[in-house]
Amino acid sequence: MCCSARRCNQEMNWEQFDLNPKVVAALKKALQLYQDHLTSQHQKLSLGCSVLDNLLKGGIPLEGITELAGESSAGKTQISLQLCLCVQYPYKYGGLESGAVYICTEDIFPSKRLQQLIEQQRKMRTDVPAEIIQKIKFGNSIFVEHAADLDTFHNCITKRISLLLTRGMVRLVIIDSLAALFRCEFGASDSVTKARYLQTFGAQLHSLSTRFRTPILCINQVTDAVSELEAAQGSCSVADNKAYPALGITWANQLLMRLMVSRVPQPERSPGAASHHSGSVHYVREIATSAFPQSYLFKGAAAISMWKRAAG
Amino acid sequence: MQRDVGSLPLAPALRARLIAAGFQTAQELLETGPCGLSKEIGISKEEALEALQVVRQECHGGAAGTAGGSGATRKCTALELLEEEQAQGFIITFCSALDNILGGGVQLTKITEICGAPGVGKTQLCMQLAVDVQIPECFGGVAGEAVFIDTEGSFMVERVADIAAACVQHCQLIAEAHQEEDHLKALEMFSLESILSHIYYFRCRDYIELLAQVYLLPDFLSEHSKVRLVVVDGIAFPFRHDFEDLSLRTRLLNGLAQQLIIIANDHKSAVVLTNQMTTRIGQSQSTLVPALGESWGHAATVRLIFHWDNSQRAGLWRMILEAQKNEDNPSRNSWQRYTNHRVRRSQPYHITLHLMASEMCSLQLSLRM
Repeated sequence: MCCSARRCNQEMNWEQFDLNPKVVAALKKALQLYQDHLTSQHQKLSLGCSVLDNLLKGGIPLEGITELAGESSAGKTQISLQLCLCVQYPYKYGGLESGAVYICTEDIFPSKRLQQLIEQQRKMRTDVPAEIIQKIKFGNSIFVEHAADLDTFHNCITKRISLLLTRGMVRLVIIDSLAALFRCEFGASDSVTKARYLQTFGAQLHSLSTRFRTPILCINQVTDAVSELEAAQGSCSVADNKAYPALGITWANQLLMRLMVSRVPQPERSPGAASHHSGSVHYVREIATSAFPQSYLFKGAAAISMWKRAAG
Repeated sequence: MQRDVGSLPLAPALRARLIAAGFQTAQELLETGPCGLSKEIGISKEEALEALQVVRQECHGGAAGTAGGSGATRKCTALELLEEEQAQGFIITFCSALDNILGGGVQLTKITEICGAPGVGKTQLCMQLAVDVQIPECFGGVAGEAVFIDTEGSFMVERVADIAAACVQHCQLIAEAHQEEDHLKALEMFSLESILSHIYYFRCRDYIELLAQVYLLPDFLSEHSKVRLVVVDGIAFPFRHDFEDLSLRTRLLNGLAQQLIIIANDHKSAVVLTNQMTTRIGQSQSTLVPALGESWGHAATVRLIFHWDNSQRAGLWRMILEAQKNEDNPSRNSWQRYTNHRVRRSQPYHITLHLMASEMCSLQLSLRM
């Protein structure tokens, strides 16, 4: 299908257009974009797993908010911690050669699990030579922020993160999780205020993401409440459970891409298996991007269960 | 012609001078000419010329009566308008059910608004249209170019490349089946590179940039006269936050709508907008309605609303398509079509369609593989 970008090198004569210079500056033909895309290697942030990268056509996009939703213990924290490590690899191996900011809103940061992941990096990233892995000081480039209420969170994303981003010290922002901030403070009648907060946060995160070309990953929980309205909005069913990402349609409008992770227990293969990780298979489903046709199930079992084992 | 000088729409000082010099009717002014006038009253030749132009316009306007003589307005009959509209092409969407609902495809010179829940496929449809507008005329397209204004950053180039490749392949199959000379000639010009190079992409980060872009668009379109589609992906996104003053927002949106209507009419292109859905909280229940308020609802000629409807099988979604405000449909509330939308995994983009007729109206079953 593809031609080489070199063949399509056309000379644009800008003088022939008597246009406002701003229009000229803003104008980019889709072909130019495509050529940029073909030649540059770091248009996406790889997840460190070739299977998941194939699902997402390279990884998560650099501009825009990506959401990772799922039930508890589905593997969301695992994926986000792995991403914190992936972003520090060189461009050649799918990273962005920079650190990550992890914003926790309810639980404490899982530092023990992070340590285990760091120790297992050599085994997990077989595509990267060992000397390079050894040189990277993973722990030094992960910045952890705690924001337990809305004002602290607002302050965090407007002032503190911009500082790190301007200095180029981070190129990934992970928020775990946004729903927790809204659970306590807002009741059913405060939906208008809640929507306004969500829109403001979404717009700020979006502008940060586009200004600094930094992926923003938001971890979201799922709710089970099913009403007619939510059914019309689209719920994602795995087996018979209807799991619906929290925060509603206001938040969903701000997202570029939504990933659903779920865990489906498999029947036990051998009796007497001790570990509680043995029988689970993780599904990652991608929904709601402009890039792909609609959802299809994908088994990331090999990759994710490997991570689970690494965590102990 | 016998109009009194005092009644002409000239500057009062100039009028006073003319009357003092002895001019009484407009006829006398016109007979004197600009040189004579400038000598008589003592004004420059340019001023005299301007004054005479005004006089001439006034006199000719009066003489012609109420039949609308000046060149600013043109008159035409409704029959001419109908013929003009019918002769215009449509931008097909490659989804026969959607084309049927729209009456042939996305219409030129009209504004079409696409609303839907997040993830339903609005940006996909826009990208498909940006490719479809370029289909050569012998294959049933309008052979135009596209402008894509992106406010959300959801334009994925590799996806457009997939869609373009599938479209080229589709046309190649048609050409092979029919084996006509003009088909093959058109195919030479219709390739992946040419499709991508005729989509003009603009990225607007906030509402000010969007407004500026739309107001500068007529200049751009006069340079690129082959553009037949303007897509604004995400008209709601820049307007839905940071707006304390909602009346300002309404004014800006109205201005935007007017400008888009002018663009659609003057350049004979289709304008496609995508809008978000928001929850309207009623007394007993809440419903999903298109965002940006009631007054924005009047901007578009055709409004497509896509809903999700869960099906039992995972991976198969049903889209309930409601076309509102379509002029062809007499009663919009009683008219709903259900379409099944399943995407094949093997090909990059293809829609399999099952059309199920509702009890209200009879539709032709159209199955497209």
